[in-house]
Amino acid sequence: MKLKDKGLSALAIAAGIVFLSPVLYSIWMSFQTAQSYYTGGFEPTLGNYATAIGQYNFARYLFNSLLVSGLVTIAGLAVATTAAFAFARFDFKGRDLLFGLVVATLMIPSHITLIPNYLTLARAGLLDTYAGLVLPAISNGFAAFFLRQYIRGIPKALDEAAYMDGATPLQVLWRVIVPISRPAIFSMGLYIFLGEWNNYIWPLVAVGKQDLYTLQLGLARLYSINPGEGLIDWPLVMAASTITILPVLFGFFLVERHLVRGITMGAVK
Amino acid sequence: MFDQAVGDVHCRFPVEAMSPKLTPYLLVAPLLAFIAVFTYIPIFTSIDLSFRSWNFMSPDMPFVGLDNYARLLGSQSFWNSMSVTTIFAVVSVPLRLALALAIASYLKREAASSRVLRGALFLPTITSTVSIAVVFSWVFSTDYGLANAFLSALGLGKMPWLQDPTLALLVLILINTWKQLGYDVIIYIAGLQAVPQELYDAAAIDGGKRWQVFRRVTVPLIMPTTYFLLVVSVIEAFQVFTIINVMTRGGPAGATDMLVHLLYRTGFVLFDIGTGSALAVILFALLIVLALLKSRIVGSKVHYEA
Repeated sequence: MKLKDKGLSALAIAAGIVFLSPVLYSIWMSFQTAQSYYTGGFEPTLGNYATAIGQYNFARYLFNSLLVSGLVTIAGLAVATTAAFAFARFDFKGRDLLFGLVVATLMIPSHITLIPNYLTLARAGLLDTYAGLVLPAISNGFAAFFLRQYIRGIPKALDEAAYMDGATPLQVLWRVIVPISRPAIFSMGLYIFLGEWNNYIWPLVAVGKQDLYTLQLGLARLYSINPGEGLIDWPLVMAASTITILPVLFGFFLVERHLVRGITMGAVK
Repeated sequence: MFDQAVGDVHCRFPVEAMSPKLTPYLLVAPLLAFIAVFTYIPIFTSIDLSFRSWNFMSPDMPFVGLDNYARLLGSQSFWNSMSVTTIFAVVSVPLRLALALAIASYLKREAASSRVLRGALFLPTITSTVSIAVVFSWVFSTDYGLANAFLSALGLGKMPWLQDPTLALLVLILINTWKQLGYDVIIYIAGLQAVPQELYDAAAIDGGKRWQVFRRVTVPLIMPTTYFLLVVSVIEAFQVFTIINVMTRGGPAGATDMLVHLLYRTGFVLFDIGTGSALAVILFALLIVLALLKSRIVGSKVHYEA
């Protein structure tokens, strides 16, 4: 039985490696020179990373992606948590209608907003700015919905005790609700961060200046300016691709369970 | 402070007694403001623009009635996109669901081996789509790609994967399946784990063969999950954009020019805002019907309680 389990584990690892082989091979390839790639030898090098960062500005793109995804996550969580708190804990006129409007955004495909949001930002002079990348991504109906469900599960007696002690609603939110909701907030933070990190179509239309490119834009562009079949510097492109996925992969191994839970919950409720 | 006298509910909020009724509105206001500006108003703007002729530049945008819709519905590129998108959905969705259910049936056990494999399957769903598109551009490149190296090793000839219209669409379907499979598997596992073990035990006592148990017990009981995934993956198929934009730009000869890619081209490459908006409105109508179906499935709460 034990031996069988070990055998199965080995088989599972092998199957996983085969499944992920294109990505794993691309990471491997990023550490060899273009010459050795084309001639079949193997010369290990970090040169592709140096070229991607030095010549093709990938350090800047990495910074931009971190900044934009970070800001979207913080602002998105702040806005979603306060709203979720109100929807979960207060009885006010129009609550159900307003909450319905928030949940309905989950059904609205983002593409209908593409042209109008471009126009809104153009009129506000925010195309080609960080604000233009961040602002349209802040509202997240799913996070608000998810957090409201979570907060409803917290015993109300805790809030009431705090109110008795003279706390204001904001203090109750910050001192009682947020600390208890930390796992849910963490899951939603990851969910928002990942979604924004991998966002492509909005940066594609909202940004033209290369200094504001995110990693996704930078990678797509690097690939598109170097398309000559047979001549393309694949190891360099793969180094850029690895820079684009690596932060997410690291995060994944740290927090896989949280992520899976967040995504499964999305389907349940 | 006189609000404290209104009722004991308000007495619980002594510090904010000035405006206890306003408090919840202030708390939801930021979220609602963002949603209004970037989601709801744009829907009306899109509808309005779809009745106008405009190119982003000219100072006026004349009202042209249904002209944009007529032009779109009379254009070859729209129907090409509709058919490419439909083919994509019809081929990719059953493929995804069948593979995912088969894999999930093996991985539903809580063993180390299944956890490892679940993790591996799940990884592509959170990996950057642009990276995936770039990596698979290499896999399917004609001269130095992994796919053709594999064919050569088997003694077969090279295939022009991304240069042939049929093959290019097939390649995109495979990549999308590879990327989304992990999501489907995880949802199926959650569904399968909710099927009571007694049902399997009863079927086993009745002498059911493995395949029979799967067909007669698992498949019917997992139907709500299947419906859910069916709708989710059709919605997803109608929104494919990134892999097309990076890998094929809709080509060769429009063979991969799916709806959102056509929308992007019309709006942001050809600057035909009216027609682009008309297409956005049509896509919106199609997807909202699907989304309503999905919410009915989820709302019926049979999903995990079958």
